[in-house]
Amino acid sequence: MSQGVLEQALTGKRIVVCVGSGGVGKTTLSAAIALKAASQGKKVVVCTIDPARRLANSLGLVELGNVEARVSPEKFAAAGLPEKGELWAMMLDLKRSWDDLIIRNAPAERRDAILNSRFYQQLSSALAGSQEYVAMEKIVELRRNRDYDLVVLDTPPTAHALDFLDAPNRVLDFFGNEKARWLLAPALKAGEVGLRMFNLTGGYFVKTLSKLTGLELLQELAEFLSTLAPMYEVFKERAAAVKALLASSECAFVLVSSANPLTVDEAAYFHTLLIQDGMPVAAVIANRVNPLPPEAGEGELDRLASAIATDPPSDAARERIAASLEELRLLAQVDRRQIARLAETCAPTPVLQVPRMESDVYDLAGLWALDGHLFG
Amino acid sequence: MRSLFDRRLLVVIGKGGVGKSTVSAALALAAARRGKRVLVCEINTKERISALLGAGPVGHRIGKLAENLEAVVVEPKEAMREYALMILKFRSIYAAVFENRFVRYFLRAIPSLSELVMLGKVYFHVKETLPDGNPRYDLVIVDSPATGHGLSFLRLPQVLLAIIPKGPMADETRKMHEMLVDEQTSAAVLVTLPEAMPVNETIELNRGLRDVVGMPRAALFLNGFLDPRLSPEEREKLAQLPPELAPAGAALLSREQRARQAEHYAQRLAVDIELPQQRLPFIFTENFGREAVEKIAALMEGA
Repeated sequence: MSQGVLEQALTGKRIVVCVGSGGVGKTTLSAAIALKAASQGKKVVVCTIDPARRLANSLGLVELGNVEARVSPEKFAAAGLPEKGELWAMMLDLKRSWDDLIIRNAPAERRDAILNSRFYQQLSSALAGSQEYVAMEKIVELRRNRDYDLVVLDTPPTAHALDFLDAPNRVLDFFGNEKARWLLAPALKAGEVGLRMFNLTGGYFVKTLSKLTGLELLQELAEFLSTLAPMYEVFKERAAAVKALLASSECAFVLVSSANPLTVDEAAYFHTLLIQDGMPVAAVIANRVNPLPPEAGEGELDRLASAIATDPPSDAARERIAASLEELRLLAQVDRRQIARLAETCAPTPVLQVPRMESDVYDLAGLWALDGHLFG
Repeated sequence: MRSLFDRRLLVVIGKGGVGKSTVSAALALAAARRGKRVLVCEINTKERISALLGAGPVGHRIGKLAENLEAVVVEPKEAMREYALMILKFRSIYAAVFENRFVRYFLRAIPSLSELVMLGKVYFHVKETLPDGNPRYDLVIVDSPATGHGLSFLRLPQVLLAIIPKGPMADETRKMHEMLVDEQTSAAVLVTLPEAMPVNETIELNRGLRDVVGMPRAALFLNGFLDPRLSPEEREKLAQLPPELAPAGAALLSREQRARQAEHYAQRLAVDIELPQQRLPFIFTENFGREAVEKIAALMEGA
């Protein structure tokens, strides 16, 4: 068998979604996975939300925008890499993506009212799950309307695993729910919005709520929500499509973690949620693992000390070396225990390890250096 | 120089995984040791502070972790309830109105209301007084959400005021913003690791706090700092070891490189961020808990 675990798990997949807590190296690993596929002759796009432009930097792209840009063949050649396929990259612009969604899906006569509403900002920027939702929408679009063999999504660093999976529901909730629609309907039919609808539920609510928010705000909010209400069905359909695609056999989730105990907790929890939701998890990657240093007995310590410090070796030099090796061993041991725990909770999903790199990955060659660890 | 602990509110902020909770816990311990009555607020997250201090969980009700030291996990639902009750006075009204599904649906559409009430709870505890008129807490420490989330959390009052400039909610929001930007009251404490990405993000974060939020910043903690153990000459010799010693040499070299890298980033931060910088050593332990936090707190006591 020449294929590695990850390669096998990703065979035949058209979408790879990298998930995990912030700061574990999702962006870099997403790019490395995309790079691998491109080197094998596929046409690949990697989509990131990372505002730090790390992906752009590591791919040698000056600017990364809301449309895909191709990593030039010269970059591949310069890094000494095979480029049989094509590697494309893009960075999701949250505001633009939301605007596009509204423009495409809102009834023409309501479009401007929505886009110009001050509450719309909430939807496009502050609403929990909004980023995640747009990212999911984007892969559906890339998968359906473009001819990529593989779409790799680097998800936003969610504070909670649940934020990601729950994103479509939250967004849908924002557009309305059955009860709100039922309450809104008469007001909409009458062609009137605003406070009228509150009258339906009685002045009591309005009075109490306005103590908190002020009356003007409530009025405007009611108007905005009734403008959105007709889009509920559209978004319900889209959210269902997104979920169906993510749960399909052409999609694979790759869960990225570090060996940090807190991150391992979060990853294990995330894994449970993904499985519960029927999402196909291909692999868990424990990133930046500290490698175990070689054993050094008294003899080796003496020789090391005399080779680099003083000959004959002083106790002080020997102690410094022993202390350093001991630290490294402890780090590696702690990591090992955490990874064993991760593997146990995530079984039978395979858990891969990528060692801590000497320096940060910042170019194509650096990404390629990860290849052996990911796919070896 | 003014002590960190003379503020009423310290917001500990930084990229995910750099040790914000550890720094929050250590600051709290150091302040409590000086006789300050301290409250640590974790914002809508899995509780960590209590475990770091070797105590049982406190949840969303304020609980005591040590002498002079209390903690709470601020959650949106509970914060909303407290906030509404404060304004409405009557529990029955709260239940009738706020537990109504339709009303909830409406409240959810108000920009970032759930984050606002969490900041509101922090504000409340900073201003909270005892019956004798003295503040209940001398110092409130907020273990803020990770960078992106953290900055938007602190920017929230401004964003909201732009959308809702009038009304009772706007009045409350304005007070929160005034508290955050008041040098006498508040300061942000930045935490980072001496590594490339966290350092870049911290430089941007500092800029954001200064230029966008307008919040005073008081200190920069460099966490997980490793000091070199070998001299430059010794390090050079590591590369020329005989083959049988080479693997050990490579391991030692990687450790020294990490130390050098730490120094490099510390210097870069010193150039780019105009704040007093404190290095916190990497603590080698299997169980990162009270003992480790005590060590860090001891370093902070002079802060």
